[in-house]
Amino acid sequence: MIARTTARIRGWGRDLMDWMEERTGIVSLTEKLLYEPTPARGRWLYTLGSATLFLITLQFLTGILLLFYYVPTTDNAWDSIHYIMTQAYFGRLIRGMHFWSANLLLFVIGLHMVRTFLSGSYKAPREMNWVVGVFLILIVTIMAFSGYALRWDQEGFWAWEVGAMISSYTPLIGSWVITTLLGGDTAGPATLSRVFALHVWLLPAVLAPLIGVHLYLLRKHGEFGATFEYSERLAALRKRRQMEETFGSVEEDGQVADAGDHSQEG
Amino acid sequence: MVDIRYGPREPVEEGEVVTEENVFDHYDEPQGFFPGQVVADLTVSTFLLAIVVVLAYAVPAPLTEPMDISTTVYVPRPEWFFFFLDQWLLYFPGAALIAVGDVIIPGLFVILLLAIPWLDKEPAYSPARRPFVTVVGLLVITVIVLNMLLALLRIVNFTGGTPAG
Amino acid sequence: MPEELQKDPLTRRQFLWMGTLGTFTGVVLTVPSAVFVLDPAIKDVLLERSDVPAEWKEVGSVFEIPASEAVEHLVEFTQKQTYDAGEPAVNGTGAKVETMTNAVLLSWRDGKLPSVLSTRDEGPLPKTQIKELERDLNALSNHCAHLGCPVRWSSETQDILCPCHGGIYDINGDHTGGPPAHGLWHYVSRIREDGTILVKHEFYVQQKGQIGPGVKTKPYVV
Repeated sequence: MIARTTARIRGWGRDLMDWMEERTGIVSLTEKLLYEPTPARGRWLYTLGSATLFLITLQFLTGILLLFYYVPTTDNAWDSIHYIMTQAYFGRLIRGMHFWSANLLLFVIGLHMVRTFLSGSYKAPREMNWVVGVFLILIVTIMAFSGYALRWDQEGFWAWEVGAMISSYTPLIGSWVITTLLGGDTAGPATLSRVFALHVWLLPAVLAPLIGVHLYLLRKHGEFGATFEYSERLAALRKRRQMEETFGSVEEDGQVADAGDHSQEG
Repeated sequence: MVDIRYGPREPVEEGEVVTEENVFDHYDEPQGFFPGQVVADLTVSTFLLAIVVVLAYAVPAPLTEPMDISTTVYVPRPEWFFFFLDQWLLYFPGAALIAVGDVIIPGLFVILLLAIPWLDKEPAYSPARRPFVTVVGLLVITVIVLNMLLALLRIVNFTGGTPAG
Repeated sequence: MPEELQKDPLTRRQFLWMGTLGTFTGVVLTVPSAVFVLDPAIKDVLLERSDVPAEWKEVGSVFEIPASEAVEHLVEFTQKQTYDAGEPAVNGTGAKVETMTNAVLLSWRDGKLPSVLSTRDEGPLPKTQIKELERDLNALSNHCAHLGCPVRWSSETQDILCPCHGGIYDINGDHTGGPPAHGLWHYVSRIREDGTILVKHEFYVQQKGQIGPGVKTKPYVV
């Protein structure tokens, strides 16, 4: 009796899975995402990338939560943050998480970039992933920078002021850049509105799809961490080449003579 | 449906001929993304989350006095990730150089970063086997870190601006 | 990139480790977030705190309220919401005080001038007269008991009418027609010796014809 019931429920489950697979392809997509082969030896190196993703997700989560209290006006921005820090439950934690994970994010993203650079992971066919990554680090930096200004306190305001002044030295269009950043030729309510629009709407809206592209490209070409992932295969290749150099090869002459050049094989 | 292999794989299978073409086709030791990589990722992420939570309470996120555009005593300081740029600005004084140091060189640096995959044409991956790129890269990192430290020293040793008494 | 997928067994150790980490991360990310967002609800429902401190505010004088009319007076309450941290700012600028202005409809019970007032002029009121006046005073919220629309006094019909869904109340705020579940909210009020009416940002509803404080509830929004 029990056996028959379990068998029937299992049958329904299988039918449902088949139906979902046929309609949406969700099962094979999940399998593709979960069972993609990754290099076991470098698994701790690749956590730099996933840690970056995690910290950015944390930024999105805590940032959205802070918006429940933050008031983006020059009169009230400071007070609303003071309220978050002193009155709201877990306000110190939520804002602290936003602040510290932003700092940690910049640090981890830097390590991620250095790792990618040193292992040559940007080489063909992964060039575009590097390019997208450079844009991502730029956007994250501007977001961190504009986040300070949203506090409308001394630290954040003067940092934004210095940054805006730096931009004013852009050749030919300096005055266009700084007035656009300030929302006028002085710093005031329009400045804060612009910083808010950048930090909360524009940059995240650009960042999120770019992260998607970054991940898509990663999955398209697979992870490439370092040559030590392939040391045994590379050793086998070297050994074969040595053998061929010593004894000569009948069937693979062309490849041995021109190990670095594949054009004639294609 | 996609082919699924159960269990581990040999680096070089029986009878397989490793060539320049297929050497990077698969890793010596592949693992499924789940659970092997997921466990590692989750471990690091949770560790970072724990750090963030501890820091959030141990060192609360700063909120200095409300913005005051008329201040004469406040000492503005950049965030740590802009220390190197802050220091960098000191090397380019005067009308002719400010634009070069503040905007043009950083702009060119970004373009250089974007172009790295096309500038580095060496076929090798290992940093030891493409010394030029590695040395240039390490030099850039050294300059950034050095400038950061110089900025930090300058900030730590700064005594002016504190109101008297 | 290899086309083939690889499915490794999930060991017991991995399973337990992922469960532990996942629980920690899940709890840290959800519980504080939920409490942070629910903060106002927790403070109102569980701790019975209001944004508006329980201060007495002046709202006209008993000598100004005519017979057979409900007159509108404005009252300004302190409101402590997110701008106002309730503490002075560090640089000594002092905490900002936000306020909200509400309307109060003042009338006498059944529109009849209390006998005390018909026999005397303005001047200090003795305790017994204050008691009597307090019993006869209606200090009503202008906020419909149905869905909160602003109600108004109609002299022709001697009714308080709601423009949204046709709620009708009599001069005492008792429900006489339309969808509202009960009569208008009464402000908690008292009368000073000089005849000044004071209200608090606290409310109660009365049964029809009932005199004195009824059930304490909140109109919300105002």
